[in-house]
Amino acid sequence: MNWADLNLVPVMPEIFLISALSVILLLDLFISDAKRGITYGLSLLTLAGTAALQVYTFEPYAQYTLSNMFVADPLASLVKLAMYGATAMILVYSRQYAADRDMFKGEFFTLALFALFGMNVMVSASHFLSLYMGLELLSLSLYALIALQRDSVPATEAAMKYFVLGALASGLLLYGMSMVYGATGTLEIAAIAKSIHGGSANQLLLVFGLVFLVAGLAFKLGAVPFHMWIPDVYQGSPTAITLMIGAAPKLAAFVFIFRILVQGLDGLTGDWQSMLAIMAVLSMAIGNITAIAQTNLKRMLAYSTISHMGFLLLGLLAGNEQGYSSALFYAVTYVLTTLASFGVIMALSRAGFECDKLEDLKGLNSRNSWYAALMLLTMFSLAGIPPLVGFYAKFAVIKAIVDIGLVKLAVFAVAMSLIGAFYYLRVVKHMYFDEVQDTSPIVVRGDMQLVLSLNALALLVLGVLPERLIEICVEAMKQSLTVL
Amino acid sequence: MLQNYFPILLFVIVGLLVGVGPILLGWLVAPNRPDPEKLSPYECGFEAFEDARMKFDVRYYLVAILFILFDLEITFLFPWAVVLKELGAFGFGVMVEFIAVLTLGFVYMWKKGALEWE
Amino acid sequence: MSFPTVVFYVLSAILIFAGLRVITAKNPVHAALYLVLAFFTSAGHWLLLESEFLAISLVLVYVGAVMVLFLFVVMMLDINFEKLREGFWKNAPLAGTVGLIMVGEMVLILMSPEASLGSYKGAAPLAADASNIRELGRLIYTTYLWPFELAAVVLLVGMVAAIALTMRKRKDTKFVNPGDQVVVRRDDRVRLVKMAAVKRSEPVAEAESADQQA
Repeated sequence: MNWADLNLVPVMPEIFLISALSVILLLDLFISDAKRGITYGLSLLTLAGTAALQVYTFEPYAQYTLSNMFVADPLASLVKLAMYGATAMILVYSRQYAADRDMFKGEFFTLALFALFGMNVMVSASHFLSLYMGLELLSLSLYALIALQRDSVPATEAAMKYFVLGALASGLLLYGMSMVYGATGTLEIAAIAKSIHGGSANQLLLVFGLVFLVAGLAFKLGAVPFHMWIPDVYQGSPTAITLMIGAAPKLAAFVFIFRILVQGLDGLTGDWQSMLAIMAVLSMAIGNITAIAQTNLKRMLAYSTISHMGFLLLGLLAGNEQGYSSALFYAVTYVLTTLASFGVIMALSRAGFECDKLEDLKGLNSRNSWYAALMLLTMFSLAGIPPLVGFYAKFAVIKAIVDIGLVKLAVFAVAMSLIGAFYYLRVVKHMYFDEVQDTSPIVVRGDMQLVLSLNALALLVLGVLPERLIEICVEAMKQSLTVL
Repeated sequence: MLQNYFPILLFVIVGLLVGVGPILLGWLVAPNRPDPEKLSPYECGFEAFEDARMKFDVRYYLVAILFILFDLEITFLFPWAVVLKELGAFGFGVMVEFIAVLTLGFVYMWKKGALEWE
Repeated sequence: MSFPTVVFYVLSAILIFAGLRVITAKNPVHAALYLVLAFFTSAGHWLLLESEFLAISLVLVYVGAVMVLFLFVVMMLDINFEKLREGFWKNAPLAGTVGLIMVGEMVLILMSPEASLGSYKGAAPLAADASNIRELGRLIYTTYLWPFELAAVVLLVGMVAAIALTMRKRKDTKFVNPGDQVVVRRDDRVRLVKMAAVKRSEPVAEAESADQQA
């Protein structure tokens, strides 16, 4: 490679992001604690600039560059835009929350942006090596973010658990990758697919590697039986960081799985389909049933995440374009809902008080009916009650598996989401029908109020008019699949 | 190729012999009659006050990890130095970018005071 | 048996012994030192495979830097290692069974004729002037440009994270910046005060009487 071969246009958003990030890292050194708002503003500007470049460099086909290690296809662009939005919303939501907990430091912003950069790399990777580098960038930043509150015992414990299990998962992934490399002789995703279709690869070694890959991916996604870290990490981390783990990384993990299983190991669809099916069934069952027993709101939402990841896997295991696009739609809307639900938790928290128990929501309606209404929307959406967007997401996924004839699995998924509705509705009951226990006023910054309201209302709007987003998802998936 | 490393192997073996030999000799030849008083810890005639092992300050860890990071950076420089002539300006630019990112980190830690030993 | 094969077996024996001692040594410092031995012998293996660069970086990075960090961490923790071992024998049968099953499964898969590991040929001998480090250099800075630059970013994140997590300003420090000491001027330290003259004899006498009383 030399200067002439170097096509950096598709990588422009990443280059801008890392350059702006470097500037913020340096500038923040010269900013006193009182003026930390400057770092906050610069971070938001960076996100806006990156998103603008992303739109500007968009092409409706896959562009490969940097020796085929980087791909910019419509799927990557769509997911990246969603991740920029999610990160910006998290920053807005967590401003007051972080300031109250002595976390409003430069590292909070730089590490959040480093995590975003890592996710960008993952989403745009067309080579196992760049996939892995992106994953490590994301994980490293998240470990540090969780432990940022150094003197908080639950936070450091959560960081430790996440770190140990995350390292184990990375190990499994690497082992799987090396097996696939041994069988096919390449690490490039498109070349792996070609080698498998050509029949030159050693089938047994491939399946052996696939098992490790799926285990590692399931760890990162948080699907049963690799879900143990999710409840502890969600509960132990400061809520702002929980949201950073629970929102955008799910999108990145979805694309990660898509790139490896669908684009790379397409020839082994039959093998991974059954693995994903078992994990989906277990995730939906254990996630939903265990969530009922929880008294901690964040822990309950953690188990709810596990069950939602089960639904996401349903869409993937359908193994066709319809399934993949429904899973993409599911991931995007799930992230939007998660942002709103944890956003409300952060809005209700204040210095020295964490609104993370179910009891803390008792009588919320009489304290502040607007936040109760927003929480109601997110809970209904998570439960999959029409006309909220969660309903369409579940509907699309279940339709995809009915269409390939897995009716029993579909019936099971519906039954599990009915069980799930119980604990979501319990939250609603607490808010509307129980006596108030905590009567302190709810003070929320104006910008957060606005964004949070728009966020929750988007669940309703997208629920009534989902066609446009579904169309975008289908189109992005179609364009990304045709390059094979 | 491998023949070139034979002197190193010899060197390692001789080094081991020189190191292990005297210890072995001492163990074989020297009289060894331990009793509890001989083996007890001795501190200026007093019973030992506390365990000699004490906790290290966490700042050693910071220094060690910063050392590892720059050690890794240098590791990347070796292959680069070997092929720099072949790669020309492109290879030079690639390494400049690599080092620029790490220099950023260096400025960051300097300004943060991570290099101060108060 | 050729001479390199003999060296290989000797190194392997040392490596396995060192690896076992890492997990069985009672004292964690000894375990860390056995790990150093294990790293040295694996570096020997790399050399036998003619990948000198990997061998040297293993010694430089792992033995030189990572193990120092390990030792620091071991010494930093105030853990009663005897206490940690208490549950060992209770859980050992279960852990052993799980481990054996996993090893058995892997052996079954890799040894089955379908895996056809036997059909893999050994690496072709390198040309006399082939240089491992040169080949790496040709690839890292051209084809693998993107992961290489990402490695720099990962190192940067490592730095930021390490500083954010472990750096504390000591409150009781008596540290004085030498730069500040040098630029200090007389006016910063000395203050001349004009005072009206007072009679000196009386307070002195009082002090003396106070001394006598004491």
